[in-house]
Amino acid sequence: MFTFIKQYAEKITGAHIYAFISLCIFFLFFVVLLFLVKKMTKERVSELSNIPFDEAEIK
Amino acid sequence: MQVEKFYYDNKIVRNFAYATVIWGAVGMLVGLWIALQLVFPGDFPHGLNLAPYFNFGRLRPLHTNAVIFAFVGNGIFMGVYYSLQRLCKARMFSDKLSYIHFWGWQLIIVAAAITLPLGLTDSGEYAELIWPIDVAITIIWVIFGWNMFGTIIKRREKHLYVAIWFYIATFVTVAVLHIVRSGELPYTWLKSYSLYAGVQDALVEWWYGHNAVAFFLTTPYLGLMYYFLPKAANRPVYSYKLSIIHFWALIFLYIWAGPHHLLYTALPNWAQSLGIVFSVMLIFPSWGGMINGLLTLRGAWDRVRDDVILKFMVVAVTAYGMATFEGPMLSLKSVSAISHYTDWIIAHVHIGALGWNGMLTFGILYWLVPRIYKTDLYSKKIANVHFWLGTLGILFYAIPMYWAGFTQSSMWKQFTEAGQLKYTFLETVTYMKPFYAMRSLGGTLYLVGVLFMVYNLYKTVKAGKLVANEAAEAAPLEKVYVAHKGEHWHRWIERRPVQLMVLSLVVILIGGLVELIPTFLIKSNVPTISSVKPYTPLELEGRDIYVREGCYLCHSQMIRPFRSETERYGEYSKAGEFVYDHPFQWGSKRTGPDLAREGAGNLKKTNGWHFRHFREPSSMSEGSVMPSYAFMLKDDLDTSDLPAKIHAMITLGVPYPKGYEKEALADLDKQAQQISNTLLSDSIRVSPRKEVIALIAYIQRLGTDISKNPTPTFNK
Repeated sequence: MFTFIKQYAEKITGAHIYAFISLCIFFLFFVVLLFLVKKMTKERVSELSNIPFDEAEIK
Repeated sequence: MQVEKFYYDNKIVRNFAYATVIWGAVGMLVGLWIALQLVFPGDFPHGLNLAPYFNFGRLRPLHTNAVIFAFVGNGIFMGVYYSLQRLCKARMFSDKLSYIHFWGWQLIIVAAAITLPLGLTDSGEYAELIWPIDVAITIIWVIFGWNMFGTIIKRREKHLYVAIWFYIATFVTVAVLHIVRSGELPYTWLKSYSLYAGVQDALVEWWYGHNAVAFFLTTPYLGLMYYFLPKAANRPVYSYKLSIIHFWALIFLYIWAGPHHLLYTALPNWAQSLGIVFSVMLIFPSWGGMINGLLTLRGAWDRVRDDVILKFMVVAVTAYGMATFEGPMLSLKSVSAISHYTDWIIAHVHIGALGWNGMLTFGILYWLVPRIYKTDLYSKKIANVHFWLGTLGILFYAIPMYWAGFTQSSMWKQFTEAGQLKYTFLETVTYMKPFYAMRSLGGTLYLVGVLFMVYNLYKTVKAGKLVANEAAEAAPLEKVYVAHKGEHWHRWIERRPVQLMVLSLVVILIGGLVELIPTFLIKSNVPTISSVKPYTPLELEGRDIYVREGCYLCHSQMIRPFRSETERYGEYSKAGEFVYDHPFQWGSKRTGPDLAREGAGNLKKTNGWHFRHFREPSSMSEGSVMPSYAFMLKDDLDTSDLPAKIHAMITLGVPYPKGYEKEALADLDKQAQQISNTLLSDSIRVSPRKEVIALIAYIQRLGTDISKNPTPTFNK
């Protein structure tokens, strides 16, 4: 079943670099995530966390 | 802007709530039944085994499937359908899709409840259901996703609250997991073989199995926690910022953790290490989520004393914290060496299932049912009784199982001063019986609690009237959104469900692909062993019976490289031994001994021994908890699918000679006759075409491929 992919994958040289690149991407992803989350304003956070209470039911 | 009037669909929420309660009680009842089968193992009426349909091996998958997919599954849909409508300020996209989703899912459950006792199984744990049901699950899951995304797209609330991200990640990941794990080659309308073999099948299984825990039992429930806990406590979540980090970190890390189920096995070491590293890191997002949940109650802890719903939720979140602390610890190699194959793991999963999933579901039900029926809960007192029964039930369940796990492991590993194993396996089995009895008591308490809930909810429903269409109003979403200057990036993605889904998909695919692809493609990961040959037709038939009866649920076929295991079971297992195993049968629990080398070395028994053992296990192993398989002595072996089976195996790459489909039956008869003859010399007269003959052939084959004396010496 995998022969089709296999014949190409086995020929890839230096495949280890992909693992390293993916690690870097995700490290950066989390650094950026933490940085941007830190930058969120108080009002914004309060607005978002109150979404469940901003109900649309007719009382 | 003009405010629009619309109606929430509470009927679908009600339907899923009923299904949750009913299937929950059924799933737990089956669990209690199989727990009692280990305490009273004989055939009915002397014991609780009702062969063949209600033996332990056939009921155990029914229990796990019922609890995971029927109880928790319906619980997810109940919570999602209630919260999604309100968080999006919109009715569900299509009532028709909701209807098809509900009935489709219930039909799948009924189909599972029929096929599993019939022995129709694929044998992957939590993925046992046969291929036509797998197809049905795919269709119904897509319908659920379609309905969910349709609702999100027509929403009246600009931003997607964090709960919805968890729902989206759940939808995407479960779809990927289900499709990959269901990779199978059908050979009849009901049966199939896994596309993967041995080590690869094991890796796919536990990549799937662990992520079923992650993305079916955890992420959707975290979404529910982020909606229902703030609602019940009437205060917003403690830290929304933390919830963002929690979400991305959790879905990224979880997908890698599967191989921790296979530590010290024949899985390549690098994959084991990846599993360990990511499992240990998982404690951070998991505890981040737990702390976020518990701290939502800051300043409201006094209410927990009086509010039974909050009590349920606090125990649920605490159990989540306990289970997710324990998980990373169990993933350490040294701890896994002790815990794997023991009842410790059973305790661990029940902290999650009974504590986290169960208690959160009950809390949500008590909160939600009175609301959609516009009434008050019938009795807070009864709910309190339920709470205490549930909490005590968890303790009575888990503590004996932890104790049993430690004891089992220590007994398995104990040597005498002379350097011999101190205990036979059977001694460790009989020692467990009091623990199994205590665990059943815990299960009974928990189930009785649920029955109290059923009564309480029934009375609540009777007192109120369903508001099937609940009126609401909100302004429609502006068509063109003007971004503010310096807008936060996450704000961008929070408005875009499709992009959020794609990003979640990318995040989870990376982990899955990095682990799976090299195991499939790089030859050195599964070194071949030239003496390992395909199963003979009779052994293949026997193996299918082994799968049918769920033998793998109590017997592993994977010897770890410890002295205590190699002394007891023989040479440790190698990856190359399993290359023709579609599906793999390594198992994950040793209620009975490992069988990887049952046909070789010191473990080899005569055909007559096996025959008598299958007829009445306790006659050969006094105190055994194994059910009797006497029906196999009478039932004829059905060989009608044999050519199709051989053909399927050839398609999967098993090197049978070309055209072997036509010759297989003659070879089967020849080998069956040989076994029948050896039994005759042991004063056992049995037709060679009985099921037991095939099973004996398979058991006698186990481990012979790489043993020093590979020629079977029947009846020595």
